[in-house]
Amino acid sequence: MKENSSQPLVTMKGICKSFPGVVANDCVDLELYGGEVLALLGENGAGKSTLMNILCGLYRPDSGEIEIRGQRVHIASPNDAQKLGIGMVHQNFKLVDSMTVLENIILGMKDQGFIPDMKKIRKKVLELSETYSLKVDADASIWQLSVGEQQRVEILKLLYRKAEILILDEPTAVLTPQESEELSKIIHRMRSEGKSAIFITHKMEEVMTFSDQVMVLRKGKVVAELPTAATSPKELARLMVGREVLFEIEKKPFSPGPAILELEKVCAQDDRGLAALKNINLNVRAGEIVGIAGVAGNGQRELAEVITGLRKVTSGSVKIGGKDLTNAKPLQVIKAGVAHVPQDRSQVGAVGDMSVASNLVMKEYRKKPLSTGALLFPSRISAFAKRLIEAFRISTPSTETRVKFLSGGNVQKTILAREITACRNLLIAVYPSRGLDVGATEAVRRQLVSQRDQGLGVLFVSEDIDELEQLADTIAVMFEGSIMAVLPGGSADVETLGLLMAGVQPSNSCDRSNS
Amino acid sequence: MKMVFEKRKNVSIGAQFLVPIISFLISLLLSGIMLAVFGSNPFTTFAAMFKGAFGSMNGFSETLVKAIPLMLTGLGVALAFKLKFWNIGAEGQLTMGGVATAWVALFWGNGIQGPLLLVVALLAGCVSGALWAGIPAFLKTRLKVDETLVTLMLNYVAILFSEYLYYGPWRDPKGYGFPGSAPFPENAWLPRIAGRAHAGLFFAIALALILWIVLRRTRWGFEISIIGASPKAARYQGISVERTIMLTMLVSGALSGLAGACEVTGISHRLQQGLSLGYGNTAIIIAWMSQLNPLAVPFVSLIMAGIMVGGDQVQLMMGLPSAVGTVIQGLILFPMLAGSLFTEYRVRWIKADRKPVCVEGGA
Amino acid sequence: MKKLVLGLLAFAMVFAMVSPIVAQAKKPLKIAFVYIGPPGDMGWTYEQERGRLAIQKAFGNKIETKYIENVPEGPDAERVIRQYATAGFDMIFTTSFGYMDPTVAVAKDFPNVIFEHCSGYKTADNMATYFGRIEEARYLTGIIAGRMTKSNVIGYVAAFPIPEVVRGINGFTLGVRSVNPKAQVKVVWTNTWYDPVKEREAAVALLDSGADIIAQHQDTTEPQKAAQERGKYSIGYDSDMGKFVGDSVLASATWNWETYLTKTIQDALDGKWKTHAYWGGLKDNVVQLSSISSKVPASVQSEVEAAKKKILGGWSIFTGPIKDQNGKVVYAAGQVIPDDKQSAMDWFVEGVVGKVQ
Ligand SMILES: Nc1ncnc2c1ncn2[C@@H]1O[C@H](COP(=O)(O)OP(=O)(O)OP(=O)(O)O)[C@@H](O)[C@H]1O
Ligand SMILES: [Mg+2]
Repeated sequence: MKENSSQPLVTMKGICKSFPGVVANDCVDLELYGGEVLALLGENGAGKSTLMNILCGLYRPDSGEIEIRGQRVHIASPNDAQKLGIGMVHQNFKLVDSMTVLENIILGMKDQGFIPDMKKIRKKVLELSETYSLKVDADASIWQLSVGEQQRVEILKLLYRKAEILILDEPTAVLTPQESEELSKIIHRMRSEGKSAIFITHKMEEVMTFSDQVMVLRKGKVVAELPTAATSPKELARLMVGREVLFEIEKKPFSPGPAILELEKVCAQDDRGLAALKNINLNVRAGEIVGIAGVAGNGQRELAEVITGLRKVTSGSVKIGGKDLTNAKPLQVIKAGVAHVPQDRSQVGAVGDMSVASNLVMKEYRKKPLSTGALLFPSRISAFAKRLIEAFRISTPSTETRVKFLSGGNVQKTILAREITACRNLLIAVYPSRGLDVGATEAVRRQLVSQRDQGLGVLFVSEDIDELEQLADTIAVMFEGSIMAVLPGGSADVETLGLLMAGVQPSNSCDRSNS
Repeated sequence: MKMVFEKRKNVSIGAQFLVPIISFLISLLLSGIMLAVFGSNPFTTFAAMFKGAFGSMNGFSETLVKAIPLMLTGLGVALAFKLKFWNIGAEGQLTMGGVATAWVALFWGNGIQGPLLLVVALLAGCVSGALWAGIPAFLKTRLKVDETLVTLMLNYVAILFSEYLYYGPWRDPKGYGFPGSAPFPENAWLPRIAGRAHAGLFFAIALALILWIVLRRTRWGFEISIIGASPKAARYQGISVERTIMLTMLVSGALSGLAGACEVTGISHRLQQGLSLGYGNTAIIIAWMSQLNPLAVPFVSLIMAGIMVGGDQVQLMMGLPSAVGTVIQGLILFPMLAGSLFTEYRVRWIKADRKPVCVEGGA
Repeated sequence: MKKLVLGLLAFAMVFAMVSPIVAQAKKPLKIAFVYIGPPGDMGWTYEQERGRLAIQKAFGNKIETKYIENVPEGPDAERVIRQYATAGFDMIFTTSFGYMDPTVAVAKDFPNVIFEHCSGYKTADNMATYFGRIEEARYLTGIIAGRMTKSNVIGYVAAFPIPEVVRGINGFTLGVRSVNPKAQVKVVWTNTWYDPVKEREAAVALLDSGADIIAQHQDTTEPQKAAQERGKYSIGYDSDMGKFVGDSVLASATWNWETYLTKTIQDALDGKWKTHAYWGGLKDNVVQLSSISSKVPASVQSEVEAAKKKILGGWSIFTGPIKDQNGKVVYAAGQVIPDDKQSAMDWFVEGVVGKVQ
């Protein structure tokens, strides 16, 4: 394929798109050249996903034009986009849970014949995963995979379809640092092959290392477009939010109270029946933030689920507020004052088909004043929802808008708002700032600290060492279902944490008590 | 030209009203053409159909007679479908409701005096329908057995069981061997309100209202919506998914059971063949066309019943073969079903000269 | 319904002293027929429809007739009958046993409409019942079957175990045994009047169990076709089934409604119609024996002819000695089963294999 470097590969001109109550894209121009990586930045709800959905044929612009290699095109469906070499990995994956990896990869492809030749397909998929080092079990069903693995499947799917223009909507939000590293290698490789990529992210470091060009959206409009080399994370953050972002958070001095959560020798299995938690001992005290450090997929999700009654322990005990709640029903745990921001926000944390108001009251609807006996009070529910929408700056056209129409970050804010409000005792937050823009991330961190300052316990799962260092009073490092070490926050150096997260036990530091 | 379906973001009020009207007109056009082909005047035929179904008190009461079981089973099915529990067993639940009601009416008449017999019989119908629906719910929640198959199979079991009863042990000893139970005592008859239309109509309308309120205004209704949208999310919110499914299915079955109870106490006054004319199956269509909204169910049922009753007029009065009547019923239904699809989706036409992909005077 | 239960009435030609219902009308008399199957069934409904066409032709513009086909027995039939009554029909013929109660219910609400129910036993001031002694013709076909069977097993596909059908089976069997006391008649119930698939299945089952002739009490020609496909003979019912199936149908016991319909409609036109319970036989021409297949030897044909003469001469086929299935004589020699016992018949004569249930 001949590439004329003076002619853009993709040109979007004057793209406008509105939804009921919002203008998502307001006359956006975008140019992408062959072999270029463009970073798309912007606050939650700025219109990034919408713009990319237009490019890949999911949405149709209200007005504006698209040219690919200089030719006017009408992209009516993802199939059309695929024929043009455009492929997108969405913020919420579009894989079919009950099907295998291979089946998902060929799903929806038209030229596979009536009975696809699975042998040939398998060979090609394995080749691709080899070349791009995207390791995945081709015969596993999607529901058995971690989010990171699912992402790999999505990328494989695009590579299999010979995508030349790769769109990645917040790809690294769900990846481990290692996986991000690999992704950057893939992107570099594709770039050297003359392919190009657009990726959306909220992480400044990634913008700096991955991209050649940056474009910033605010409220649907382009506010800046500049070469990466000519800017800095601070400037980008200011451009996005429209004000300076402070990354400093004030904390009261650490004075822990009695234990709120006590895990003793907890073992559990994952969805595939493999050991996911091995002899976990862990305490969270009142007024303490315990950070769980570790690469995603090392038992963090299972840990949260075991505490909240969503997963059975095979042995060991779980005590909350001194009460034995081993293998209790989820409702009992909720009644014990435990709130939980789950890892999977689109399937578990939020119900896309229901309104923002409904989603916001899903924890509190059992209580007065939202209900008495069996009866719900819609007016009180909507008042309650309005209060939360304001307090947590959720951007939504109305309380009755269905959650699936919110931007990714605003879905997360909805979950956070509900859970933080419902928390009476212990807050379990699994990657709470995933998908949030810098401003919202800052706000969430403040919320976690304020919970702690009010004397609640916080169990905080993250992969971001800086974030952990900043927030956690105590850090427990997880690796392959075990707790490698429990260290006081702020004391641990990045080096040691990194090693522990990779499963390497630095000599003589196995101090398991955190009392 | 290329046609693509797009899910509508928001169903506009206009579309909600316009689409049914347009699809109705299309139905008339299609069936009009067919009637003309068969050599009968479409206008007089439609007039006859309408008159037959709604034009006289007698015709209207017959339309109501059919609408009542459709309403009750339609509500039951809609409720189950809210949960994404694919209960296609309303037919069986209706039949078992009729059987239990007949049992009380036939054999408890000596013990229970006066109108109390009717009340007990109706309750027995509800309980029996509920238990019959409880079987697939139990299998689904405990053993993860797919409910579609179970509810379908149980339809056959129920119908065969009722046949066994009225061909066998319950056959009317004074019936000269013709299958069918003895008639019920009169204190087990549901009062009639007009023609053959019976008080079951009040149950159906009241239950539609109650169900509508329950779904919108109660914790239970809220939980049903959450489970229907995402069982995983429901579990995470501390909702007992199994218990809710069980309870909801019991209510769903009770509604269909009541339909059966009303049929035997209101119409046939005995257990015999023709207890259900596929009401439980039509209920699935009704639930869909009502978009699972309980308030819409009575109206949709009425239209459906009107089509059934009016369709017979084609034969009755116009002297056309019964197949024509059936085809017309289908021709009327089909665009309406398609119409309810269009309220959810819209069609986009992409002009052929602008190929979906590429090529238009580039540079 | 208690109020309406009239009990079993003795069958006689004319009953009751009710004044005529339909006055002399200038407008054509509107008449409706309710059918259980389609007129194309070549059997029961076919014959009803033949009757309708005949009277339409005979009365010309003095009457106007309509019909509806495929109306299931049971509660929904009441709706259809009621719709005709509402639509201003003057006379409604309901032509299946299971329409009896629905007809009674509608008749109560429309005292000015005449109802005629075929094959039942309930009547009202404005509702008559009519039927025929088809078993007389069946007796004659039984003679043919008894002579023609080689395996001495004759299959009988039967609809419902109701007196009408039981009578037919007994009449047929008496005919069979009058010439061949070793032959047996095996009965299979289908519990349906009209279901081509079930009727065929039952016939096949009988053939499989050794029957070499198939008789029937159903609405279609399916049992005949099934027998023919196996190279076996059959005995038809309702219509002259040999015309539709071929000469493997040895003979048929057939209906002929025209005579009766003409009479009762004329009465209605003249304003002389009164309720009644009509039960005619061979001599009234309401039931007939069809032409006999050429496969039947002349000797047998003359045997049939002789028996027919006897019946036309007033002899009842239910004349003793008649034994039940246990071989016990229930009607002694010379004793005739009275009409009221015939119309409630719920037991089989000797030679029938099967149970009334
Ligand atoms: N299908 C839709 N229906 C209605 N509104 C929508 C739809 N998709 C997006 N929106 C609205 O458009 C706006 C832009 O959303 P978009 O998803 O593009 O944001 P984003 O920049 O990707 O945000 P985030 O970083 O949170 O993912 C939001 O206000 C959102 O609520
Ligand atoms: Mg987004």
